[in-house]
Amino acid sequence: MKKTLVWLPLVILLLTLAAVGCRREAARPPAPEAAPPGQAAPGVTATPTPTVAPGPRTGGVFRRLWDDPPTLDPHLTTDVTSAFVILEIFSGLVTLDYDLRVVPDIAERWEISPDGRTYTFYLRRGVKFHNGREVTAEDFKYSFERAADPKTQSPVAETYLGDIVGVVDKLNGRATEVAGVRVVDRYTLQITIDAPKVYFLAKLTYPTAFVVDREQILRMGRRWTEQPNGTGPFKLKEYKVGERIVLERNPDYYRGPPKLDRVELILSGGNPMAMYENDEIHITGVGLADLERVRDPRNPLHKELVQAPLTFDTYYIGFNVTKPPFDDVKVRQALNHAINKEIIARQVLSDLVTPAYGILPPGFPGYDPAMQEKGLKYNPDLARRLLAESKYAGRMPRIIMTVPGTGGSAGLDLEVIMDMWKQVLGVEVEVQQVEWATFLQELNRGTLQAFAGLGWIADYPDPQNFLDVLFHSKSPQNHTLYNNPEVDRLLEQARVEMDWNKRVELYRRAEETIIREAPWVPLWYSGERFALIKPYVKGYRLLPMLVPRLKDVWIER
Amino acid sequence: MLVYIVRRLLWLPVLLGAVTFVTFILGYYGPGDPVQVRLGTRYTPEAAARLRREMGLDRPLLVQYADYMRKAIRGDLGESYTYPGRSVSSLIGKKIWVSAQLGFAALLIGVSLGIPLGLLAAYRQGTWVDTALVSSALFFYSMPVFITAPFLILVLAVRLDLLPTAGWKGLFSPHIVMPALVMGLPGIAGIARLTRAAALEVIGQDYIRTARAKGLPEHLVQGRHVLRNALIPVATVVGLSLAGLVEGAFITETIFGIPGIGRLAVDSIFRRDYPVITALTMIFAVSFVLANLLVDILYAFLDPRIRYR
Repeated sequence: MKKTLVWLPLVILLLTLAAVGCRREAARPPAPEAAPPGQAAPGVTATPTPTVAPGPRTGGVFRRLWDDPPTLDPHLTTDVTSAFVILEIFSGLVTLDYDLRVVPDIAERWEISPDGRTYTFYLRRGVKFHNGREVTAEDFKYSFERAADPKTQSPVAETYLGDIVGVVDKLNGRATEVAGVRVVDRYTLQITIDAPKVYFLAKLTYPTAFVVDREQILRMGRRWTEQPNGTGPFKLKEYKVGERIVLERNPDYYRGPPKLDRVELILSGGNPMAMYENDEIHITGVGLADLERVRDPRNPLHKELVQAPLTFDTYYIGFNVTKPPFDDVKVRQALNHAINKEIIARQVLSDLVTPAYGILPPGFPGYDPAMQEKGLKYNPDLARRLLAESKYAGRMPRIIMTVPGTGGSAGLDLEVIMDMWKQVLGVEVEVQQVEWATFLQELNRGTLQAFAGLGWIADYPDPQNFLDVLFHSKSPQNHTLYNNPEVDRLLEQARVEMDWNKRVELYRRAEETIIREAPWVPLWYSGERFALIKPYVKGYRLLPMLVPRLKDVWIER
Repeated sequence: MLVYIVRRLLWLPVLLGAVTFVTFILGYYGPGDPVQVRLGTRYTPEAAARLRREMGLDRPLLVQYADYMRKAIRGDLGESYTYPGRSVSSLIGKKIWVSAQLGFAALLIGVSLGIPLGLLAAYRQGTWVDTALVSSALFFYSMPVFITAPFLILVLAVRLDLLPTAGWKGLFSPHIVMPALVMGLPGIAGIARLTRAAALEVIGQDYIRTARAKGLPEHLVQGRHVLRNALIPVATVVGLSLAGLVEGAFITETIFGIPGIGRLAVDSIFRRDYPVITALTMIFAVSFVLANLLVDILYAFLDPRIRYR
């Protein structure tokens, strides 16, 4: 064999590498966190350009990337991918406005009884389903009954509607009707809950409480979501699985027709940055990989960059307080004090996160900036002292921290943290990576010693959603098994306290105690997120929570 | 021959029964649970128990299995857990079709370029052409998809703007070019090497020399003797890879945003979507059996010495 031609493939290889080498990185599949950009990510407040802006005009198509929603049935929604679409097609008694306050939607006003347990909703007249039929209180009764029907198999009925008298009974087969929902007359609906819980209204903004068309469901059965007859600002015009969803303006929408003609959600995937630069989509999140390039003022894209507000989520490491060594509060506190979160946030995560010292995220109702000062800050001497005082000093048992995932690393931040624990305290922690379904199973069984890689994202804007749900000793989502009767008492009181300021004070005291007893290491609040929006797309709000917003978007061309 | 085919096909139901039963056992006793995945971090024991009851997952294994088979025989493969309300067959049907089209295009590329190149290398054995082809074949055969794909996207889509970066619009659209190329490259390489080796072996045989000595025109020597015999091992490989058409290609589909079966299969496993997993397992098993059968039948045509009883 002639040796001369061995170099030919080598030349090919070198040429290949040269071509790839310079400049821009290959258009890689985009940042997944950008999964659907602006998912819960609240985006940025896209303020219209300050120059002379002509008034909103109708028409136009708004395009973005999205993923296949697991379901379009409001009563079965558990995730953001589905909720984003559902919020535009359906609606309910109340909704959230852009300031995250509960405001009237199909109900134009409501009254709360003096004992705080009975809500009377007065519906707007003339609200129509997409097919023209008027919405009445009977339709809401049907919808609540359906959501609470075990045959519907709603995974979240207990979470969002469980406070209504009779819902849990019906779900468990002990009743055939939800006693707490009553039709008073054609436009009046009464709902009774089991205790004067102030956060109940916020839960009604979630799709589980939305109204659906009984006639359609009876006629079409399980397939009714293929052409849903909703009440929202948009109708579902087309849904080609894996390809696209087209939403069309509902001209009879009771709060005024949307300006856009259509919204197209591209489901077939692709490279968001490339598609955005190609004008195939109008908005995209900007991932870590592209951030520097876009932030460069010399890049024309720089002008279209907008900053997203912080999302309401907190990432943390959880300790199972029933398992050694985490049954000793000093160990938990020591591990907290040994971490320098500022350095990690800045250098490892490029300031895309904000260090967290408390449970509630910034901007969340009930958030107190002073809480960050009460957190367990970086203090290596204190950390070492606490560890020495604990009962495991010198005889630390094996520590395994479990994270969900499939290969690769557990996350750069966690790796640095484990290193810090080793350097400051001499404590070695092993990481065990388990795929998601198995992780959930072990988490729910309470077998995990320590766990990370999780974040808690707000379902509704009320502190109960964080503090009570995560730290009350009897809450099923309390995976640290934290049990403090004093905190329980504060939380139970706050559930039914009607005065907002007193409630906030109760939650503040609870949060202080929780932070001090450290069942968690609070790690991060999602920090600055960035998105690119085409300059001719106006009115698109980026928000910390999922709120219907497409009706206010317009295209200026 | 017909009897032979029928006899082979009779094994199918037995095979399907065994395959689905094993899948059921793995799901039932394995870690992870679709109800918990569905509830995610909003898990409560009551909601889980209720959902399990309603989804029929609290019944004994054999009851669930019998129920599934009873429905499956009638063509009802159940509903997906991840996409509630969507029937498994509608979910899979479309995606398999997409993957099959892509796989077919890739196979076409592999065969139409691989065989000629392999023959070329065989006939120019020892020359620089041969070495170049063999080394490049090795190179492209070893290159993983996630290296070739971004490179192609960079050059063909971003820089030269010849093709779209991603997406899927069917068999006859520019969207298929890059993914098919990416999947076809290792195919070209593999088939070329195989063809070369087989051709070399055949060319060295006595009957080829005899044919030439008889005065047979060269093109007949090639077409009737060399090609036909060299293709037998190639046919095996190509035939078996037909089964792979329905398996899809997870990485390629993810990179190019193709709604194929590869992504669905991997996602279903992570989400414990048992109806989808079971249906897919059955489909893969069937396609493997059929592909094997096809190859065996092809042998009978390619090699007259092979007879089936």
